[in-house]
Amino acid sequence: MNKTNPIKSLRYLFQADLNVLIRNVRALFLSVLIPVILLFAYSSNKAQARLGGPSYIFAISITIGIISSSLQGYTLTLARDRDGGVFQRLRVTPAPGWAIMVSRLLVQVIANLVIAVAVLVVGGIIYHVNLTVLDYILVLFIATIGGAVFLSIGQAIVGLLKSAETVNAVVRIVFIALFLLGFLGISGVFGDVLQQVAKWTPLGTVMTLFQGALSATSWNQDTTYALLANLGYIIAFSFIGIRWFKWDSQ
Amino acid sequence: MPTHKNILEVKNLSISYGSNIAVDDITFSIKHGEIFGLLGPNGAGKTSALSVIEGLIKPKSGTLLLEGVDLQTHPMQAKAIMGVQLQTTSFQPELSIKQIIKLFAGLYNVKLLDRDISESLQTIGLEKEKSKRYKQLSGGQQQRLSLYIATIHSPLILLLDEPTAGLDPQSRRQLWDRIEHIRKDGGSILLTTHSMEEAQAVCDRLAIIDHGKILTIETPSGLIKKHKNDPAVRKVAHGKVTLEDVFIGLTGSEIRE
Repeated sequence: MNKTNPIKSLRYLFQADLNVLIRNVRALFLSVLIPVILLFAYSSNKAQARLGGPSYIFAISITIGIISSSLQGYTLTLARDRDGGVFQRLRVTPAPGWAIMVSRLLVQVIANLVIAVAVLVVGGIIYHVNLTVLDYILVLFIATIGGAVFLSIGQAIVGLLKSAETVNAVVRIVFIALFLLGFLGISGVFGDVLQQVAKWTPLGTVMTLFQGALSATSWNQDTTYALLANLGYIIAFSFIGIRWFKWDSQ
Repeated sequence: MPTHKNILEVKNLSISYGSNIAVDDITFSIKHGEIFGLLGPNGAGKTSALSVIEGLIKPKSGTLLLEGVDLQTHPMQAKAIMGVQLQTTSFQPELSIKQIIKLFAGLYNVKLLDRDISESLQTIGLEKEKSKRYKQLSGGQQQRLSLYIATIHSPLILLLDEPTAGLDPQSRRQLWDRIEHIRKDGGSILLTTHSMEEAQAVCDRLAIIDHGKILTIETPSGLIKKHKNDPAVRKVAHGKVTLEDVFIGLTGSEIRE
């Protein structure tokens, strides 16, 4: 009998999940397209002056891309595969449950990094910004943390809700809520109080981190608190998502 | 032919979902090379019993040994020597047949070259479909692929949950041939079914299960012999007593949800 190895299992699962990502290149393209459209939309001098410069526009663009890919892509696929019995089929093999999940998360992290790099490259060209290697490293690091925030929110949704249809509906509502509260709230459209609240939402804190990463001078106490808040979000939502997650939707 | 050594031993197994008892203190064993059927109406506890053996759910109590390996303390070791075909099998819809085979071969640490995959697909009549996705296959083709994947690592025991449900007669016969082939190679099979025809055609022994309890265990012909004179069986029989008469006689005529 062939001996099975959890790490080898993870390798094969990762390979399969990567193939799924490649086959779903259209979804990844859309996750890149939305931030790129935002980059173009805010490229006028007037918009830049109003929003506080390229670092803010880069931050919001990457954040929206990551939300779209992590929250919608990961969560909806997870709910669909659970509903279809894909996980149960994998669970009757010697592959450990953690490997099934870690492989999917790793693939999603790659997708987030692709989005972040695409925004930096396209943004650099549009806004004539020269980014250093350190800028790239910092932004990719924040993209990993920011991605983890939205992946953990997605995990919590799938953990609390069983039906794929309900997950689908809730994810869309959460996406719109995060977008409105975070994006518009931060801009001050809804007043000062909501602006402060929006700053500490998952979207707000991730954006603060990106701004800090894109401009070393703007890394201040708020950025450090935003980093801590993000770690808190990751821990809290992951706990909910893992504690109540069911492999089977029946 | 079955040998006397047991490949699977299930002792005093109980499963409950909250206050609902799905399986109530059942005991049975399966010999090497034996095809053992769990026969029961809807909600009898067949799939729950199978799910515990597959490691998908935890039992309330009981002991499960697979080739001497405790399924509860060494689930990965046990899973490596069992093959499983679930009632509703699905694979990631984006993956091609070839990619699915590579994934599962890898999970069972089976080394397959592209040539091996082509040969295997030819054997199950899916060579032309290797680039297709799972959902693009017909029901019979899906079932053949699913069974091939369940046996990709030459398991000592194969667990089949209602394997012929929804199949046309041709696909059903083909599956029975495959089951017979596995038996000839020395493999053991535990299957659940609603079909008396299937139970009679392929099973060496049958356990009739209802309301979570095993009512009787016998060979198909032995079951008829043992119960043909039971008043409940005689009441439902039309002429010569069949396995279905025994089944209805023992489990009742009311429709289960």
